[in-house]
Amino acid sequence: MNVLFRAYNRLHPSIRFNYLPDGGNAGVQDVQAGRRLFSINTRPPLPSDAGTTYFKLWLDGLCIAVNPANTVSNLTIAQTKNIFTGVATNWGQGFGSNLTSTIDPIGRNSTAGLYTFFQQAVLGGATQSSNVQQVTSDGLVATAVSKDPNAIGYVGIAHTGKGSGVKSVDVNGVPCNQANIKTEHYPLFRYAWGVLPTSNPSKTVERFFDWVRTSKLAGQIINRGGAVAAFNKK
Amino acid sequence: MDEDVFLERDRGLSQDQRAELGLGALVFVVVALLLAMLAFVFHEAWPSFAHNGLGWFGGGGNVDRQIEAIFNSGEYKTAPVYTFHAWPLIWSTIVITVGAVAIAFVAALFIAVFMIEFAPAWLRRILEPVVRLLASVPSVIYGLAGVLVIVPLIGNHLITQSEKAAVTPTIQLSGASLLAAVLILTVMIAPIMIAVFADGLRAVPRGWLEGSLALGINEWRTFWKVAVRTARPVLVAGTVLATARALGEAIMVSMVSGGVGFAPNPVDGLIFFFEPSQPLAATIIRNTEGLGSPPMKHTLYAIAAVLLFSSAMLSAIGWAAKQPMRRYGVVP
Repeated sequence: MNVLFRAYNRLHPSIRFNYLPDGGNAGVQDVQAGRRLFSINTRPPLPSDAGTTYFKLWLDGLCIAVNPANTVSNLTIAQTKNIFTGVATNWGQGFGSNLTSTIDPIGRNSTAGLYTFFQQAVLGGATQSSNVQQVTSDGLVATAVSKDPNAIGYVGIAHTGKGSGVKSVDVNGVPCNQANIKTEHYPLFRYAWGVLPTSNPSKTVERFFDWVRTSKLAGQIINRGGAVAAFNKK
Repeated sequence: MDEDVFLERDRGLSQDQRAELGLGALVFVVVALLLAMLAFVFHEAWPSFAHNGLGWFGGGGNVDRQIEAIFNSGEYKTAPVYTFHAWPLIWSTIVITVGAVAIAFVAALFIAVFMIEFAPAWLRRILEPVVRLLASVPSVIYGLAGVLVIVPLIGNHLITQSEKAAVTPTIQLSGASLLAAVLILTVMIAPIMIAVFADGLRAVPRGWLEGSLALGINEWRTFWKVAVRTARPVLVAGTVLATARALGEAIMVSMVSGGVGFAPNPVDGLIFFFEPSQPLAATIIRNTEGLGSPPMKHTLYAIAAVLLFSSAMLSAIGWAAKQPMRRYGVVP
């Protein structure tokens, strides 16, 4: 986000951003209360967000990552749910893996935005089981998965590239990559939303959102930052 | 003539008096800030304590689910949830702190004695700066070493498949465990203890030791009976300092302790050491993302208040332990 602000600031030196990253839900409340001109949220609008308008800005994908020593190549959403709710605990239970050892699921702590998304999209609202090791960042999930042959974790697409030491598996038969996320074929995608007040939105912020959504430069910044540009010109 | 009198009067306070007043004001500001901080933390923490009463410190339910429910109840126009039973977190804090302090105390005492009395001069010249450097290494570095080396080592080599299968799906034995947390915390706090102990032992008057040696008592016994005994208040002070550091250590422990609100059970035998847990300070660090949710914020402040209170108690215990020793004219 800050890279986008800097780039936009270079194009329009008169516009300065004062961004406070304190969580998507807190941001919406600030917009509702008129304390802020806009906020960014990574979950779709809820009924409690009355008085705000959401704009799709870009896409992000949640990849299911395993250790490269594990030959599992595809998991369904249901299988992933079973692993993270403690129903399936062994790689030998029909996952097409070469391993027959205990599964080590690794996830994020319950206040993390990615966990909320994972809970909605994969667990169907259920809570992850107590055998899920909880760590505080995507990077630590990727590190833990890369160090443990039996591990499985969920991370943003930015953490599955070359050199990450993890292998992302197909979900419902679709590989987790930028192309599939952009076309929404990959099931675990989410939009990052820009949130504006419905009445009297700031014209300056609207122009900034348009720039983020459509300009080629913003698209490059988004892709480089590990997210997926959805509407930007090539 | 008149002018001179005026000049005298203008000067008013002497330089010493000004320094005294300035420093006094500074101390006052520090104390006021401390009191304000205490008042603020306890004020923010109050809703959590008020809703749970003494049950706050007890067990009951899954503390991770409770945290999740508290966090989610912070949504716009939702009734806040406060139910929170912190026992697994408190138990984890106690086990990890006591374990690390006990091991570090024994190790630090022997190392300090060796460094001051028995090590050759050239070795001492190397040891002292090394200990001081170790004492100032930021905890996140120990955390990284833990995540990248110690945790995989324990997970892949010490824990067997049958042990893992036995406890799943209740908990996961991944290597992030009591053992990892205690080991790394020991390495973190031992240098502080060594440095403080060594200063205390060095301050023991040479004459006392020479007197004992002159009576034909050997060096080891002399040092143990005279120097270490004399330095007891310093041992207490160093231990209190190290315990406070261990108690408040958040980053490193949150990286290697497993991050699950589970109370490790000594009845489980060897597996006990491999069980994951999460102490209080690490809970705050992990859930800072939830500060935007008011009930979550109050709960985190309540945890902070408990930690603050424990540190204050520690200082008080350290002070009280030193009192009987003052009678013998032993003042650190």
